Amino acid sequence: MKRSKKIALSLFPVYSVFLGLALSGILMLLLDANPFVVYKKMLIFVFRDAYNVADIFAKATPLILTGLAFGFAFRASLFNIGAQGQFYMGCLASVACSLFMGNLPALVLLPLCVVVSGAAGGLWGSLVGYAKARFNANEFLISMMSTYVAIAIMNYLIRGPLIESKGEYPQTDVITQSAWIPQIIPHTRLHWGFVLAVVVAALAYFILWKTTLGFRIRAVGMNRDSARYAGINEKRIFVEVFFISGAFAGLAGFMEVNGIQHMLVQGFNPYLGAEGIGIAILGNAHPLGIIFAAILFGALKVGGNLVVQTSSIPSSIIGIMEGLVMISVIFSYFLKERILVRMEKKMLQAEERKEGPRK
Amino acid sequence: MLRWGRPLPHPFIEQNYFKAVITMPIEREDKAVELIGITKYFPGTVANYKVNLTVKKGEVLALLGENGAGKSTLMKILYGMYLPDEGEIWIDGKKVDIRSPQDALSLGIGMIHQHFTLVPVHTVVENVLLSAFNTPKGKASVSEVAKEIEEIGKKYGLEVDPYAYVNQLTVGMQQRVEILKALYAGARILIMDEPTAVLTPQNTKKLFEFVRDFRKAGNSVVFITHKLNEVMEIADRIVVMRNGMVTGELSRQEASENELARMMVGKELEEITVTNPSEGNLSGEVVLSVRDLKVKSARGHMAVDQLSLDIRAGEIFGIAGVSGNGQEELAEALCGLRSVEGGEVLLEGRNIVGRKVVEIINEGVGYIPADRHREGLVLDMNIEENLILRKFESEKFSAKGVLLQENIHQYAQKAIGEYAIKAPSSKVKVRGLSGGNQQKVVVAREMDIATTVLVAVQPTRGLDLGAIDYVHRTLLRARSEGKAILLISTELSEVLALSDRIGVIYRGRIVKVFNRQDAKVDEIGLAMMGVSNDETQ
Repeated sequence: MKRSKKIALSLFPVYSVFLGLALSGILMLLLDANPFVVYKKMLIFVFRDAYNVADIFAKATPLILTGLAFGFAFRASLFNIGAQGQFYMGCLASVACSLFMGNLPALVLLPLCVVVSGAAGGLWGSLVGYAKARFNANEFLISMMSTYVAIAIMNYLIRGPLIESKGEYPQTDVITQSAWIPQIIPHTRLHWGFVLAVVVAALAYFILWKTTLGFRIRAVGMNRDSARYAGINEKRIFVEVFFISGAFAGLAGFMEVNGIQHMLVQGFNPYLGAEGIGIAILGNAHPLGIIFAAILFGALKVGGNLVVQTSSIPSSIIGIMEGLVMISVIFSYFLKERILVRMEKKMLQAEERKEGPRK
Repeated sequence: MLRWGRPLPHPFIEQNYFKAVITMPIEREDKAVELIGITKYFPGTVANYKVNLTVKKGEVLALLGENGAGKSTLMKILYGMYLPDEGEIWIDGKKVDIRSPQDALSLGIGMIHQHFTLVPVHTVVENVLLSAFNTPKGKASVSEVAKEIEEIGKKYGLEVDPYAYVNQLTVGMQQRVEILKALYAGARILIMDEPTAVLTPQNTKKLFEFVRDFRKAGNSVVFITHKLNEVMEIADRIVVMRNGMVTGELSRQEASENELARMMVGKELEEITVTNPSEGNLSGEVVLSVRDLKVKSARGHMAVDQLSLDIRAGEIFGIAGVSGNGQEELAEALCGLRSVEGGEVLLEGRNIVGRKVVEIINEGVGYIPADRHREGLVLDMNIEENLILRKFESEKFSAKGVLLQENIHQYAQKAIGEYAIKAPSSKVKVRGLSGGNQQKVVVAREMDIATTVLVAVQPTRGLDLGAIDYVHRTLLRARSEGKAILLISTELSEVLALSDRIGVIYRGRIVKVFNRQDAKVDEIGLAMMGVSNDETQ
């Protein structure tokens, strides 16, 4: 009986996704739209052609990576709120690499861009980790503020050294074709970057659960006193975790620049980092969960956009759906925890009644 | 019988129910506070269990017990900081529901915390006003409050400049402000949580004068402490707590320091089933030698002060003492977890002061920490991971940074078999194991690490008798394997049962060393309280 209870509890987040969609439906009613019609339309539109289905995964690709950026650090009980800034650093590095090394063959250029964008995001992130290790700074605030600095750097570079040759708009030239990530399905936006993102998620899983580095990270995350007792240097972990986590977000920059936009426009995708946080929480900071959560968000985006384009519903409904799903999932985790604690307390109480206290 | 329609009373409350009804009109009048059947559960532990406690009007009640005995929890329940899970609180013969310190204050209950609850950058008046904020007296003007503070101060000898900033006052004066806060809010029942811990002897004297004056005016004081001489000096009645329960109640006339010491630390002597079957090796080589060690506590005072001791191979050296006398700091310093201010630690002749934790582990020093939940285990990791927690980087368990899952699994299976750890599999989180099995995981790991020295702090805390027995046998086995064992425990019975020599620690120093056959409970108990120490000074 206890086991079945536990399984029921573990399904809470799944139910809560539907609860979030149902709540969004109520808001649609207030917008004079019939939610059943809207959801039906959404399903029909999304699955009407391959382009839309493929687009779900294309949209999910950078979300997997920013989700990992938050989720990986979260495993060490660190809060990386700065994925947006690390993403922009990755974008800049990747676009610069593609522009200046454009005459290299694709087989060299693409891996180079992967390394450069990851390193840029990673180094940017590790500054946060260093500030925490060296000055005991609050990584939450520092990482959040580092985003604003990254935006300023991007604005400067895009209006200055990297500006398009026409010099008109704050954006770069289109990068050379050999720097484009090849498509998986022709004539869609789905590119091999999605597969790479899944591989990166698998890598994150491997690091966390199969290596000594991951062992240290999780020990620090779950119990800092025990980690200290085990001789683990938590300060080094701060820097290492923020490097890896920043590298994930930096890779998202490579995906968007080389896979979708093929150029860098000032201030694009401004919510990728914030959405990554939601996705990581949705996926319980587990790489596999993050992949599914990112695909769910991708579907909401694609479906939402199609509905908005073809009916009178305002586009803010997409954000509302994302938000309500997120809130209800987080609430379900909270509820789950409460129920578990109450169960434990009851068990303890029953035990005491039988045996008297043991201390 | 039950057809009357009255629901069956709660099994705990039942007796108290009658007691409450029957005894109330007869003897409630002189009772300021009555706690009935108070039980408080915290996740994983029971802090108070069916505690009954009475405080009479015009009496100083000393609440005596070790750290973790449940005194502070009980008083925090009375002060509204915790809600009890079961039980009733009666104040002045009326049943009350205390849900916050504000409720407690309005009922005339004040608490002086061990760590002051003052705003350092505010003045005395401002602090007093802050705590009375929600009461009618909180509406008074600053000058009115200042005047009243001076009046109260004169009445009880607690004079303080009302306009002084708290951070400019000495610790003794700050405590006065704490007391004034409670008195201004109209406290008739004062709870003092180890109030003398921070005071000089002169200040302590003054505090006691205040307590006597306060009592003379018909008020009550609950005095939490573990210092016996203070109890004898100030208390009218003494209640001893242990393991969350009241274990003894005495009037001052009945009490003697010896008896109290025994009630606090030695009541369960008969429960220890393992006794040291043979003498340890008292002529082995000195493996661990500590010389004039000085270690600071987290709060910055010198917790270990010029401590020296020697432990031989094949010997258990027990350290007895009331907790908070530097035991944990000593253990942490030996294992590289706390920096050392002075002195040296010689392991087989080599000084290991300043070495890293991992290096000391590799030297073969195992350490069973006092708190397995806080430190010894990562509760959300599984048994395998916890078994390799302090040596996951050894070549047995990892290669090139990748964990060798197969080796780890086999090692865990072996340890589970060898130490009889009861668990459905080696992959379950240790959080779900019983306390005894959790501790076996820690013991298994540290026994394997400890090739030369094993430091065990409170190795049986919170365990049932079977598990205690197992841990004790394991320690004796380690001794017969020729390890040098430092056993630090506040359970005097445990130290007595296992040790070959017993050192008593008091204020960071070994004040006395007994050979086991010469050890007497009374003498050790008094040395633990610093009594013999005070007399010789």
